[in-house]
Amino acid sequence: MKIFLSLIFLCFFTVGCAHNPVPSSGAFPVKKSITQPVLLASASEQNPTLSAADAVNPVDEEYKEDEVFDNYTENAVAEEKVDIADPLEPVNRAMHQFNDKLYFWALKPVAQGYKFMIPEPARISVKNFFSNLAFPARFLSCLLQADINGAATEAGRFTINTIWGIGGLLDPSSGKELNLQTQDTDLGQTLGVWGVGQGFYIVWPVFGPSSPRDSVTIAGDYFLYPVSYISPWYAGVGVRIFEEINATSLRIGDYEALKEAAIDPYVAFRDAYAQYRFKKIKARKAKLNPSAPTEEKSASNNPALPKKEE
Amino acid sequence: MKKLNTAWIIILILMIFSLPVYAGAPLDAVKINVNKVLDILRDPKLKAESAKGIKKEKLRVIYEDMFDEVEFSKRTLTRNWNKFNVDQRTEFINLFEQVLEKSYADKILDYTNEKVEFYKENMLSDTQTEVQTKIITASKEIPIFYRMILKDGKWKVYDVVVENVSLIQNYRTQFNDILLKNTPEQLLEILRKKVSKQ
Repeated sequence: MKIFLSLIFLCFFTVGCAHNPVPSSGAFPVKKSITQPVLLASASEQNPTLSAADAVNPVDEEYKEDEVFDNYTENAVAEEKVDIADPLEPVNRAMHQFNDKLYFWALKPVAQGYKFMIPEPARISVKNFFSNLAFPARFLSCLLQADINGAATEAGRFTINTIWGIGGLLDPSSGKELNLQTQDTDLGQTLGVWGVGQGFYIVWPVFGPSSPRDSVTIAGDYFLYPVSYISPWYAGVGVRIFEEINATSLRIGDYEALKEAAIDPYVAFRDAYAQYRFKKIKARKAKLNPSAPTEEKSASNNPALPKKEE
Repeated sequence: MKKLNTAWIIILILMIFSLPVYAGAPLDAVKINVNKVLDILRDPKLKAESAKGIKKEKLRVIYEDMFDEVEFSKRTLTRNWNKFNVDQRTEFINLFEQVLEKSYADKILDYTNEKVEFYKENMLSDTQTEVQTKIITASKEIPIFYRMILKDGKWKVYDVVVENVSLIQNYRTQFNDILLKNTPEQLLEILRKKVSKQ
Protein backbone atom coordinates (compact mmCIF):
# COMPACT_ATOMS: atom_id res chain seq x y z
CA MET A 1 0.00 0.00 0.00
CA LYS A 2 2.81 2.29 0.88
CA ILE A 3 4.43 1.61 -2.46
CA PHE A 4 1.19 2.26 -4.22
CA LEU A 5 0.77 5.61 -2.52
CA SER A 6 4.29 6.69 -3.28
CA LEU A 7 3.72 5.62 -6.85
CA ILE A 8 0.72 7.90 -7.17
CA PHE A 9 2.75 10.67 -5.64
CA LEU A 10 5.53 10.04 -8.13
CA CYS A 11 3.11 9.98 -11.02
CA PHE A 12 1.98 13.44 -10.07
CA PHE A 13 5.52 14.47 -9.57
CA THR A 14 6.81 13.32 -12.94
CA VAL A 15 3.86 14.50 -14.93
CA GLY A 16 3.05 17.59 -13.02
CA CYS A 17 6.34 18.71 -11.59
CA ALA A 18 6.43 21.58 -14.00
CA HIS A 19 3.08 22.90 -12.93
CA ASN A 20 1.08 23.93 -9.99
CA PRO A 21 -0.47 20.97 -8.31
CA VAL A 22 -4.14 20.59 -9.00
CA PRO A 23 -5.93 22.74 -6.48
CA SER A 24 -7.43 20.74 -3.66
CA SER A 25 -10.74 22.50 -3.91
CA GLY A 26 -13.19 21.04 -6.37
CA ALA A 27 -13.48 24.24 -8.33
CA PHE A 28 -11.14 23.91 -11.23
CA PRO A 29 -10.54 27.12 -13.13
CA VAL A 30 -11.48 26.68 -16.72
CA LYS A 31 -8.49 28.50 -18.06
CA LYS A 32 -6.20 25.83 -16.70
CA SER A 33 -7.09 23.75 -19.66
CA ILE A 34 -5.63 26.44 -21.83
CA THR A 35 -2.45 27.19 -20.00
CA GLN A 36 -1.69 23.68 -18.87
CA PRO A 37 -2.48 21.27 -21.62
CA VAL A 38 -0.19 18.63 -20.17
CA LEU A 39 -2.43 18.38 -17.18
CA LEU A 40 -5.49 17.64 -19.25
CA ALA A 41 -5.31 13.97 -18.43
CA SER A 42 -5.53 14.49 -14.72
CA ALA A 43 -7.94 17.37 -15.17
CA SER A 44 -10.41 15.16 -16.92
CA GLU A 45 -10.69 12.96 -13.88
CA GLN A 46 -11.69 15.89 -11.78
CA ASN A 47 -13.86 17.68 -14.24
CA PRO A 48 -15.11 15.41 -16.97
CA THR A 49 -17.64 17.91 -18.31
CA LEU A 50 -14.90 20.36 -19.14
CA SER A 51 -12.84 17.98 -21.20
CA ALA A 52 -15.92 16.71 -22.95
CA ALA A 53 -16.71 20.24 -24.01
CA ASP A 54 -13.11 20.61 -25.07
CA ALA A 55 -13.30 17.63 -27.30
CA VAL A 56 -16.51 18.73 -28.96
CA ASN A 57 -15.55 22.29 -29.61
CA PRO A 58 -12.33 23.82 -28.41
CA VAL A 59 -13.64 27.23 -29.35
CA ASP A 60 -16.41 26.90 -26.85
CA GLU A 61 -14.28 27.45 -23.78
CA GLU A 62 -14.84 30.39 -21.60
CA TYR A 63 -11.76 32.44 -21.98
CA LYS A 64 -10.93 34.53 -19.02
CA GLU A 65 -8.55 36.74 -20.84
CA ASP A 66 -8.22 39.32 -18.09
CA GLU A 67 -6.35 36.91 -15.91
CA VAL A 68 -4.40 35.32 -18.67
CA PHE A 69 -3.37 38.73 -19.83
CA ASP A 70 -2.01 39.50 -16.37
CA ASN A 71 -0.06 36.30 -16.53
CA TYR A 72 1.67 37.44 -19.66
CA THR A 73 2.86 40.61 -18.05
CA GLU A 74 4.30 38.65 -15.18
CA ASN A 75 6.16 36.47 -17.57
CA ALA A 76 9.78 36.92 -18.44
CA VAL A 77 9.30 38.28 -21.90
CA ALA A 78 6.20 40.07 -20.93
CA GLU A 79 3.64 41.11 -23.41
CA GLU A 80 3.57 44.65 -22.25
CA LYS A 81 0.70 46.87 -22.98
CA VAL A 82 2.26 49.43 -25.23
CA ASP A 83 -0.15 52.16 -26.04
CA ILE A 84 0.34 55.59 -27.42
CA ALA A 85 -2.15 58.40 -26.97
CA ASP A 86 -3.53 59.79 -30.18
CA PRO A 87 -5.32 63.08 -29.58
CA LEU A 88 -4.52 64.30 -33.08
CA GLU A 89 -6.07 61.29 -34.76
CA PRO A 90 -8.01 63.11 -37.51
CA VAL A 91 -4.96 65.15 -38.55
CA ASN A 92 -2.72 62.13 -38.25
CA ARG A 93 -5.01 60.04 -40.39
CA ALA A 94 -4.91 62.71 -43.07
CA MET A 95 -1.11 62.80 -42.88
CA HIS A 96 -1.01 59.02 -43.03
CA GLN A 97 -3.04 59.19 -46.23
CA PHE A 98 -0.72 61.84 -47.61
CA ASN A 99 2.39 59.75 -46.91
CA ASP A 100 0.70 56.70 -48.34
CA LYS A 101 0.00 58.50 -51.60
CA LEU A 102 3.49 59.98 -51.60
CA TYR A 103 4.87 56.46 -51.38
CA PHE A 104 2.70 54.88 -54.03
CA TRP A 105 2.64 57.76 -56.50
CA ALA A 106 6.17 59.13 -56.25
CA LEU A 107 8.65 57.25 -54.14
CA LYS A 108 7.83 53.70 -55.15
CA PRO A 109 7.79 54.16 -58.95
CA VAL A 110 11.08 56.06 -58.84
CA ALA A 111 12.66 53.53 -56.49
CA GLN A 112 11.48 50.71 -58.74
CA GLY A 113 13.10 52.29 -61.79
CA TYR A 114 16.27 52.87 -59.81
CA LYS A 115 16.23 49.31 -58.53
CA PHE A 116 15.91 48.07 -62.08
CA MET A 117 18.97 50.02 -63.21
CA ILE A 118 21.35 49.66 -60.28
CA PRO A 119 22.42 46.22 -59.04
CA GLU A 120 21.83 45.42 -55.39
CA PRO A 121 25.48 45.42 -54.18
CA ALA A 122 25.87 48.97 -55.45
CA ARG A 123 22.71 50.06 -53.68
CA ILE A 124 23.90 48.46 -50.46
CA SER A 125 27.16 50.40 -50.81
CA VAL A 126 25.24 53.63 -51.21
CA LYS A 127 23.28 52.78 -48.09
CA ASN A 128 26.53 52.09 -46.21
CA PHE A 129 27.92 55.40 -47.37
CA PHE A 130 24.99 57.40 -46.01
CA SER A 131 24.92 55.35 -42.85
CA ASN A 132 28.60 56.15 -42.31
CA LEU A 133 27.85 59.81 -42.89
CA ALA A 134 25.21 59.77 -40.19
CA PHE A 135 27.84 58.85 -37.64
CA PRO A 136 27.79 62.13 -35.63
CA ALA A 137 24.21 61.66 -34.42
CA ARG A 138 24.84 58.10 -33.26
CA PHE A 139 28.15 59.03 -31.65
CA LEU A 140 26.59 61.91 -29.75
CA SER A 141 23.65 59.76 -28.66
CA CYS A 142 26.00 57.15 -27.26
CA LEU A 143 27.91 59.81 -25.37
CA LEU A 144 24.74 61.35 -24.01
CA GLN A 145 23.67 57.94 -22.79
CA ALA A 146 27.07 57.55 -21.11
CA ASP A 147 27.59 54.52 -23.32
CA ILE A 148 31.36 54.83 -23.71
CA ASN A 149 31.62 51.42 -25.31
CA GLY A 150 29.06 52.33 -27.91
CA ALA A 151 30.71 55.67 -28.61
CA ALA A 152 34.09 54.00 -29.03
CA THR A 153 32.56 51.41 -31.34
CA GLU A 154 31.00 54.14 -33.43
CA ALA A 155 34.24 56.14 -33.58
CA GLY A 156 36.15 53.01 -34.56
CA ARG A 157 33.60 52.13 -37.21
CA PHE A 158 33.70 55.60 -38.67
CA THR A 159 37.49 55.64 -38.88
CA ILE A 160 37.83 52.15 -40.30
CA ASN A 161 34.98 52.40 -42.76
CA THR A 162 36.03 55.82 -43.99
CA ILE A 163 39.65 54.82 -44.55
CA TRP A 164 39.49 51.14 -45.48
CA GLY A 165 35.90 51.11 -46.62
CA ILE A 166 36.47 53.67 -49.39
CA GLY A 167 34.76 56.59 -47.70
CA GLY A 168 32.11 54.37 -46.14
CA LEU A 169 30.97 52.54 -49.26
CA LEU A 170 32.04 49.28 -47.72
CA ASP A 171 31.49 48.16 -44.18
CA PRO A 172 34.59 46.17 -43.18
CA SER A 173 34.13 46.85 -39.46
CA SER A 174 30.96 44.80 -39.15
CA GLY A 175 32.77 41.76 -40.51
CA LYS A 176 33.59 38.76 -38.38
CA GLU A 177 37.14 39.85 -37.51
CA LEU A 178 36.38 43.28 -36.14
CA ASN A 179 32.73 42.81 -35.29
CA LEU A 180 31.96 46.45 -34.65
CA GLN A 181 28.25 46.78 -35.26
CA THR A 182 26.32 49.96 -35.87
CA GLN A 183 24.99 51.33 -32.61
CA ASP A 184 21.28 51.54 -33.05
CA THR A 185 20.77 54.85 -31.30
CA ASP A 186 19.26 58.22 -31.95
CA LEU A 187 18.45 61.32 -29.96
CA GLY A 188 14.82 60.47 -29.28
CA GLN A 189 15.94 57.15 -27.90
CA THR A 190 18.45 58.97 -25.69
CA LEU A 191 15.63 61.04 -24.22
CA GLY A 192 13.71 57.81 -23.72
CA VAL A 193 16.60 56.28 -21.84
CA TRP A 194 16.69 59.39 -19.68
CA GLY A 195 13.08 58.74 -18.80
CA VAL A 196 11.19 61.07 -21.10
CA GLY A 197 7.90 59.48 -22.10
CA GLN A 198 6.95 59.28 -25.73
CA GLY A 199 3.95 61.55 -25.34
CA PHE A 200 1.46 61.21 -28.13
CA TYR A 201 1.42 60.05 -31.70
CA ILE A 202 2.28 62.41 -34.52
CA VAL A 203 2.44 61.59 -38.21
CA TRP A 204 4.70 64.08 -39.91
CA PRO A 205 4.30 64.56 -43.63
CA VAL A 206 7.26 62.90 -45.39
CA PHE A 207 8.95 61.82 -42.12
CA GLY A 208 6.11 59.59 -41.02
CA PRO A 209 5.24 58.17 -37.58
CA SER A 210 6.71 60.07 -34.66
CA SER A 211 6.04 61.54 -31.25
CA PRO A 212 7.11 64.80 -29.61
CA ARG A 213 10.08 63.00 -28.14
CA ASP A 214 11.12 61.33 -31.36
CA SER A 215 10.66 64.56 -33.29
CA VAL A 216 13.85 65.60 -31.53
CA THR A 217 15.52 62.98 -33.69
CA ILE A 218 14.24 64.60 -36.84
CA ALA A 219 15.43 68.05 -35.73
CA GLY A 220 18.71 66.84 -34.24
CA ASP A 221 19.49 64.73 -37.27
CA TYR A 222 19.16 67.79 -39.41
CA PHE A 223 21.92 69.61 -37.52
CA LEU A 224 24.14 66.58 -37.02
CA TYR A 225 23.89 65.27 -40.55
CA PRO A 226 26.65 66.62 -42.82
CA VAL A 227 24.36 66.50 -45.84
CA SER A 228 22.31 69.32 -44.31
CA TYR A 229 25.26 71.68 -44.73
CA ILE A 230 25.57 71.20 -48.47
CA SER A 231 24.94 74.48 -50.23
CA PRO A 232 22.92 75.53 -52.06
CA TRP A 233 20.13 74.09 -49.92
CA TYR A 234 18.36 72.37 -52.79
CA ALA A 235 21.48 70.33 -53.52
CA GLY A 236 21.27 69.02 -49.95
CA VAL A 237 17.61 68.23 -50.40
CA GLY A 238 18.44 66.46 -53.65
CA VAL A 239 20.99 64.29 -51.86
CA ARG A 240 18.46 63.46 -49.15
CA ILE A 241 15.90 62.47 -51.77
CA PHE A 242 18.46 60.27 -53.48
CA GLU A 243 19.29 58.67 -50.15
CA GLU A 244 15.63 57.96 -49.54
CA ILE A 245 15.10 56.47 -52.99
CA ASN A 246 18.10 54.23 -52.49
CA ALA A 247 16.88 53.10 -49.09
CA THR A 248 13.39 52.48 -50.45
CA SER A 249 14.73 50.40 -53.33
CA LEU A 250 16.12 47.96 -50.77
CA ARG A 251 12.80 47.45 -49.03
CA ILE A 252 10.15 47.67 -51.72
CA GLY A 253 7.29 45.43 -50.73
CA ASP A 254 7.66 45.75 -46.98
CA TYR A 255 5.26 48.63 -46.65
CA GLU A 256 2.81 47.00 -49.04
CA ALA A 257 2.87 43.74 -47.11
CA LEU A 258 2.25 45.49 -43.80
CA LYS A 259 -0.54 47.57 -45.24
CA GLU A 260 -2.10 44.59 -46.97
CA ALA A 261 -2.10 42.55 -43.77
CA ALA A 262 -3.69 45.28 -41.68
CA ILE A 263 -7.39 45.61 -41.04
CA ASP A 264 -6.98 49.31 -40.26
CA PRO A 265 -3.55 50.29 -41.62
CA TYR A 266 -3.44 53.57 -39.71
CA VAL A 267 -3.92 51.83 -36.35
CA ALA A 268 -1.58 49.03 -37.40
CA PHE A 269 1.24 51.43 -38.14
CA ARG A 270 0.61 53.42 -35.00
CA ASP A 271 0.82 50.30 -32.89
CA ALA A 272 3.87 48.98 -34.71
CA TYR A 273 5.60 52.30 -34.16
CA ALA A 274 4.74 52.35 -30.44
CA GLN A 275 5.89 48.75 -29.92
CA TYR A 276 9.05 49.24 -31.92
CA ARG A 277 10.19 52.35 -30.09
CA PHE A 278 9.19 51.02 -26.70
CA LYS A 279 11.16 47.83 -27.04
CA LYS A 280 14.15 49.60 -28.56
CA ILE A 281 14.42 51.89 -25.57
CA LYS A 282 13.85 49.05 -23.16
CA ALA A 283 16.59 47.00 -24.76
CA ARG A 284 18.88 50.00 -24.65
CA LYS A 285 18.18 50.60 -20.99
CA ALA A 286 18.88 46.94 -20.27
CA LYS A 287 22.16 47.17 -22.11
CA LEU A 288 23.28 50.29 -20.26
CA ASN A 289 22.13 49.07 -16.90
CA PRO A 290 22.86 45.37 -16.72
CA SER A 291 22.05 45.20 -13.01
CA ALA A 292 18.42 45.85 -13.80
CA PRO A 293 16.58 42.62 -14.58
CA THR A 294 16.80 42.04 -18.27
CA GLU A 295 14.60 39.75 -20.24
CA GLU A 296 17.16 37.01 -20.48
CA LYS A 297 18.08 37.05 -16.85
CA SER A 298 14.58 36.68 -15.58
CA ALA A 299 13.93 34.05 -18.20
CA SER A 300 16.61 31.83 -16.80
CA ASN A 301 15.05 32.12 -13.39
CA ASN A 302 12.00 30.78 -15.10
CA PRO A 303 9.33 30.63 -12.42
CA ALA A 304 7.44 27.41 -12.77
CA LEU A 305 4.23 29.22 -13.46
CA PRO A 306 2.97 32.73 -12.94
CA LYS A 307 1.84 33.28 -9.39
CA LYS A 308 -1.50 34.62 -10.53
CA GLU A 309 -2.53 31.08 -11.34
CA GLU A 310 -3.34 30.44 -7.71
CA MET B 1 8.34 -7.53 -5.73
CA LYS B 2 6.31 -7.70 -8.89
CA LYS B 3 4.45 -4.62 -7.77
CA LEU B 4 7.68 -2.73 -7.38
CA ASN B 5 8.80 -3.65 -10.87
CA THR B 6 5.54 -2.44 -12.36
CA ALA B 7 5.97 0.76 -10.43
CA TRP B 8 9.38 1.34 -11.88
CA ILE B 9 8.17 0.61 -15.36
CA ILE B 10 5.36 3.10 -14.99
CA ILE B 11 7.72 5.71 -13.65
CA LEU B 12 10.11 5.06 -16.51
CA ILE B 13 7.33 5.42 -19.06
CA LEU B 14 6.16 8.65 -17.50
CA MET B 15 9.64 10.05 -17.54
CA ILE B 16 10.13 9.14 -21.16
CA PHE B 17 6.88 10.79 -22.13
CA SER B 18 7.61 13.95 -20.24
CA LEU B 19 11.06 14.30 -21.79
CA PRO B 20 10.11 16.05 -25.04
CA VAL B 21 8.93 19.02 -22.99
CA TYR B 22 12.45 19.83 -21.95
CA ALA B 23 14.60 18.66 -24.82
CA GLY B 24 14.62 21.80 -26.93
CA ALA B 25 11.52 20.56 -28.69
CA PRO B 26 10.12 24.00 -29.56
CA LEU B 27 13.29 25.09 -31.32
CA ASP B 28 13.32 21.86 -33.28
CA ALA B 29 9.66 22.25 -34.17
CA VAL B 30 10.32 25.69 -35.63
CA LYS B 31 13.50 24.54 -37.32
CA ILE B 32 11.87 21.57 -38.99
CA ASN B 33 8.92 23.62 -40.21
CA VAL B 34 10.98 26.57 -41.44
CA ASN B 35 13.36 24.25 -43.23
CA LYS B 36 10.41 22.55 -44.88
CA VAL B 37 9.22 25.97 -46.07
CA LEU B 38 12.68 26.80 -47.41
CA ASP B 39 12.82 23.47 -49.23
CA ILE B 40 9.59 24.27 -50.99
CA LEU B 41 10.73 27.79 -51.86
CA ARG B 42 14.00 26.49 -53.30
CA ASP B 43 12.53 23.48 -55.07
CA PRO B 44 13.71 23.81 -58.69
CA LYS B 45 10.67 21.89 -59.89
CA LEU B 46 8.42 24.59 -58.48
CA LYS B 47 10.37 27.54 -59.88
CA ALA B 48 7.84 28.35 -62.58
CA GLU B 49 5.36 31.16 -61.99
CA SER B 50 2.52 28.71 -62.58
CA ALA B 51 3.64 26.60 -59.64
CA LYS B 52 2.71 29.35 -57.20
CA GLY B 53 -0.59 27.73 -56.41
CA ILE B 54 1.07 24.40 -55.64
CA LYS B 55 3.61 26.11 -53.43
CA LYS B 56 0.90 27.92 -51.48
CA GLU B 57 -0.97 24.65 -51.05
CA LYS B 58 2.15 23.01 -49.67
CA LEU B 59 2.85 25.94 -47.39
CA ARG B 60 -0.65 25.74 -45.95
CA VAL B 61 -0.08 22.18 -44.78
CA ILE B 62 3.04 23.31 -42.95
CA TYR B 63 1.65 26.28 -41.15
CA GLU B 64 -1.51 24.53 -40.18
CA ASP B 65 0.75 22.15 -38.36
CA MET B 66 2.91 24.94 -37.00
CA PHE B 67 0.40 27.53 -35.81
CA ASP B 68 -2.40 27.38 -33.32
CA GLU B 69 -5.06 29.50 -34.95
CA VAL B 70 -7.50 29.29 -32.04
CA GLU B 71 -4.89 30.56 -29.62
CA PHE B 72 -3.99 33.22 -32.17
CA SER B 73 -7.55 34.48 -32.37
CA LYS B 74 -8.16 34.35 -28.65
CA ARG B 75 -5.09 36.33 -27.88
CA THR B 76 -5.88 38.98 -30.44
CA LEU B 77 -9.42 39.45 -29.24
CA THR B 78 -8.61 39.07 -25.52
CA ARG B 79 -11.51 40.51 -23.54
CA ASN B 80 -13.57 40.91 -26.67
CA TRP B 81 -13.50 37.15 -27.17
CA ASN B 82 -16.34 36.87 -24.68
CA LYS B 83 -18.50 39.24 -26.69
CA PHE B 84 -18.51 36.81 -29.60
CA ASN B 85 -20.92 33.89 -29.60
CA VAL B 86 -19.76 30.44 -30.63
CA ASP B 87 -20.66 30.79 -34.31
CA GLN B 88 -19.04 34.18 -34.49
CA ARG B 89 -15.90 32.83 -32.88
CA THR B 90 -15.66 30.02 -35.39
CA GLU B 91 -16.15 32.41 -38.25
CA PHE B 92 -13.69 34.87 -36.81
CA ILE B 93 -10.96 32.24 -36.52
CA ASN B 94 -11.60 31.18 -40.07
CA LEU B 95 -11.61 34.70 -41.51
CA PHE B 96 -8.61 35.87 -39.53
CA GLU B 97 -6.63 32.88 -40.72
CA GLN B 98 -7.48 33.72 -44.32
CA VAL B 99 -6.46 37.35 -43.86
CA LEU B 100 -3.09 36.31 -42.50
CA GLU B 101 -2.57 33.64 -45.11
CA LYS B 102 -3.37 35.89 -48.02
CA SER B 103 -1.23 38.74 -46.76
CA TYR B 104 1.85 36.76 -45.90
CA ALA B 105 1.88 33.90 -48.41
CA ASP B 106 2.98 36.14 -51.26
CA LYS B 107 5.58 37.81 -49.10
CA ILE B 108 7.02 34.45 -48.10
CA LEU B 109 7.10 33.29 -51.71
CA ASP B 110 9.40 36.22 -52.49
CA TYR B 111 12.09 34.79 -50.28
CA THR B 112 14.60 32.50 -51.93
CA ASN B 113 18.23 33.01 -51.04
CA GLU B 114 17.87 34.27 -47.52
CA LYS B 115 19.52 32.42 -44.71
CA VAL B 116 17.61 31.61 -41.57
CA GLU B 117 19.48 31.31 -38.31
CA PHE B 118 17.99 29.71 -35.22
CA TYR B 119 19.94 30.95 -32.32
CA LYS B 120 18.04 30.84 -29.12
CA GLU B 121 15.22 29.35 -27.16
CA ASN B 122 13.92 31.42 -24.32
CA MET B 123 11.60 29.58 -21.96
CA LEU B 124 8.91 31.91 -20.66
CA SER B 125 7.29 29.27 -18.52
CA ASP B 126 7.01 25.53 -18.75
CA THR B 127 4.33 25.69 -21.36
CA GLN B 128 5.44 28.83 -23.14
CA THR B 129 8.61 29.61 -24.95
CA GLU B 130 10.11 32.02 -27.43
CA VAL B 131 12.24 30.71 -30.28
CA GLN B 132 14.47 33.41 -31.64
CA THR B 133 15.46 33.33 -35.28
CA LYS B 134 16.98 35.72 -37.76
CA ILE B 135 16.46 36.07 -41.46
CA ILE B 136 19.67 37.26 -43.04
CA THR B 137 19.35 38.98 -46.39
CA ALA B 138 22.01 40.75 -48.42
CA SER B 139 21.21 44.16 -46.98
CA LYS B 140 19.82 43.45 -43.52
CA GLU B 141 19.03 41.07 -40.71
CA ILE B 142 15.44 40.66 -39.62
CA PRO B 143 14.89 39.21 -36.15
CA ILE B 144 11.83 36.96 -36.04
CA PHE B 145 10.72 35.44 -32.74
CA TYR B 146 8.16 32.68 -32.53
CA ARG B 147 6.24 32.51 -29.28
CA MET B 148 5.03 29.01 -28.69
CA ILE B 149 2.72 27.19 -26.36
CA LEU B 150 2.67 23.53 -25.42
CA LYS B 151 -0.70 22.03 -26.22
CA ASP B 152 -1.44 18.33 -26.06
CA GLY B 153 2.25 17.55 -26.15
CA LYS B 154 2.89 19.65 -29.22
CA TRP B 155 4.55 23.03 -29.47
CA LYS B 156 2.47 25.42 -31.50
CA VAL B 157 3.16 28.99 -32.49
CA TYR B 158 0.75 31.55 -31.06
CA ASP B 159 2.57 34.78 -31.85
CA VAL B 160 5.22 35.99 -34.24
CA VAL B 161 7.36 38.95 -33.27
CA VAL B 162 9.02 40.64 -36.22
CA GLU B 163 11.57 43.35 -35.47
CA ASN B 164 10.22 43.78 -31.97
CA VAL B 165 6.63 44.13 -33.18
CA SER B 166 4.29 41.45 -31.93
CA LEU B 167 1.79 40.45 -34.55
CA ILE B 168 -0.85 39.58 -32.02
CA GLN B 169 -0.50 42.83 -30.18
CA ASN B 170 -0.68 44.73 -33.43
CA TYR B 171 -3.95 43.08 -34.41
CA ARG B 172 -5.26 43.39 -30.88
CA THR B 173 -4.89 47.16 -31.04
CA GLN B 174 -6.71 47.23 -34.37
CA PHE B 175 -9.56 44.99 -33.24
CA ASN B 176 -9.91 46.87 -29.97
CA ASP B 177 -10.13 50.10 -31.89
CA ILE B 178 -12.77 48.70 -34.24
CA LEU B 179 -14.79 47.04 -31.48
CA LEU B 180 -14.93 50.27 -29.50
CA LYS B 181 -17.34 51.62 -32.06
CA ASN B 182 -18.66 48.46 -33.70
CA THR B 183 -20.33 45.20 -32.79
CA PRO B 184 -18.64 41.82 -33.32
CA GLU B 185 -20.94 41.28 -36.30
CA GLN B 186 -19.67 44.47 -37.93
CA LEU B 187 -16.09 43.42 -37.36
CA LEU B 188 -16.82 40.11 -39.05
CA GLU B 189 -18.34 42.02 -41.94
CA ILE B 190 -15.14 44.09 -42.28
CA LEU B 191 -13.10 40.88 -42.31
CA ARG B 192 -15.40 39.22 -44.83
CA LYS B 193 -14.98 42.19 -47.15
CA LYS B 194 -11.22 42.13 -46.71
CA VAL B 195 -11.00 38.43 -47.49
CA SER B 196 -13.13 38.69 -50.61
CA LYS B 197 -11.16 41.71 -51.85
CA GLN B 198 -7.77 40.04 -51.50
